[in-house]
Amino acid sequence: MLLGDRSKYLMLVGGLTFAALLMTQQCGVFIGLLSWTTSHMRNMRASIWVVDPKVEQINEIKAMRDTDVNRVRSVSAVAYAVPLYAGILQARVADGSFKPVQIIGLDATTLVGRPPRILAGRLEDLRLPNTVMIDELAVTRLSLDPKRPLRIGDSFEINDREARVIGICRTDRHFFGYPYVYTTYEQALQFAPPTRKMLSMVLAEPAAGFTAEQAARQIEGETHLKAYTEAEFSASTLRWFFRNTGIPASFGTTILLGFIVGVAIAGQTFYSFVLENLRHLGALKAMGASNALLGRMLLLQAFTVGLIGYGLGVGLTVLFGMVVMRTGQPPFLLPYQLPLATLVVILLICSLAALLGIRKIYKLEPAVVFRG
Amino acid sequence: MANLPKTEAGHELAIHVRGVSKTFGQGEAAIHALKDVDFDARKGEMLMIVGPSGCGKTTLLSVIAGTLTFEKGEIDVFDAALQGMKQRAITEFRKRNVGFIFQQFNLIPTINLLENVSVPLLINGWTRRRAEEKAAATLAVVGLAGREKDLPTMMSGGQQQRVAIARALVHDPRLVICDEPTSALDKDTGGHIMELLREVARHPDRCVVVVTHDSRVFKYSDRMAEMEDGRVERIHESFDQYANKQGL
Repeated sequence: MLLGDRSKYLMLVGGLTFAALLMTQQCGVFIGLLSWTTSHMRNMRASIWVVDPKVEQINEIKAMRDTDVNRVRSVSAVAYAVPLYAGILQARVADGSFKPVQIIGLDATTLVGRPPRILAGRLEDLRLPNTVMIDELAVTRLSLDPKRPLRIGDSFEINDREARVIGICRTDRHFFGYPYVYTTYEQALQFAPPTRKMLSMVLAEPAAGFTAEQAARQIEGETHLKAYTEAEFSASTLRWFFRNTGIPASFGTTILLGFIVGVAIAGQTFYSFVLENLRHLGALKAMGASNALLGRMLLLQAFTVGLIGYGLGVGLTVLFGMVVMRTGQPPFLLPYQLPLATLVVILLICSLAALLGIRKIYKLEPAVVFRG
Repeated sequence: MANLPKTEAGHELAIHVRGVSKTFGQGEAAIHALKDVDFDARKGEMLMIVGPSGCGKTTLLSVIAGTLTFEKGEIDVFDAALQGMKQRAITEFRKRNVGFIFQQFNLIPTINLLENVSVPLLINGWTRRRAEEKAAATLAVVGLAGREKDLPTMMSGGQQQRVAIARALVHDPRLVICDEPTSALDKDTGGHIMELLREVARHPDRCVVVVTHDSRVFKYSDRMAEMEDGRVERIHESFDQYANKQGL
């Protein structure tokens, strides 16, 4: 019935496509944006992150004393602990302009916290003086001519000191959008303006026989610093962004709007479809079709348009994702749970829309077909 | 289970209605559509219910077909006593025993003739394939062989009513209910439809009840029940008897 009513069918499919697109795409951007907030963790990688007790999220730096590294190392549940510097500094490029960069200073001995994927050069060359490894975004941002991008051997300045590129790496993009520049801890301290305390955090691994949680609790107990496992720090960071930014509310509103638009269009169109076909539905009821059969019939039709709209909406979202993954903006992530959740919501919308019609049918007297 | 009595002349009854009342609304706004109606219809006949607008013809048709409940009285249709029957049982009764022909045909415009005619069989739980085979055969009976894949909107009014007749007969119902079956048709087409319905009624275990205003088709009836103000006032044993009474 519904598939034959072309205008209503297209209206329903269009509305549900739009709702599925809006919900999935906005959720995808939201999840992508949230993933950017924890990209430090994927770009440095450690089992345990030891920070100042006031630190709640990974992008927040409260410098500690250098001696805190040794205090962490002294904990029996810790296999090793290394210092790490993280800070935003200004890089001066060849034309004299300044660009903000995210400096990561790694322990020169172990190079723990190294970038996840090295595309060119050797990380060990960071032990040479005044050297840095930059990510692809830095190549784009710090190059003067796109046709002649920054390459190994080129240099720029950070705080009046030469930074010579010895390698290119790939990183996950950060929430603040600054390119990553890796160097050694000691070199980073040379780049950064001196302050009383310079240590940003300590990266540690649990000793054999200890889980990361056990080691973290023992570090906290013995040093009175805050120690997070990877999962804890990630969750704490996300909680912080939920609590302290308007991002969830803003995306939540858009996603809710998608849901409401879906319910409104699907509900209104489907209900008017039922009203317009009440004569036929009454005839079917007179012929002996039970309420349950007619209800199933309406649900089937609602789910059919729902699945078509869902497919189109998610398909368009995937297309959007493919385009933005090339450009890297806006952030976008589509975990498999997201299309599944959208499917559930779309089916819920269809069920709500069908329920309005089913309610009407349950109340419909079959004798209505004899009334003109 | 009702055991319907025979008439004095030995006719077997298909429908036996006694003291049936139906009221719409309550209090001062109440409309007494049927007032203690007594009425019988025989097997193998086409009975027409006639009378002025608002006299209760359609309400009587609806309660006989089990599409409308009634407050008082007894209605036996073949072997089923409708009074006291639960809604689910009435639905089941309609599904198996009643075929409907409506004034506006009520064919589903978005599905083809074969699918339209298959509907009662599908409701009765037939498989689609079997239902379509039987539907095709029934369409052939009403002279529409070869038109199975056409949509109702491609048909004339007369052809649509033929499809509706095929749909009403496809599951071999014992009672065929027709509500103004010719009022949307011209005289000749209406005549053809009534001839077809009269053939349908010539089945020893079937009864066709027609509600109509259309005096052009009265002559096709076997008997006529004349209604007035919620009651069956007279039963005419033939159209001639009715015509004489009316001075036609």
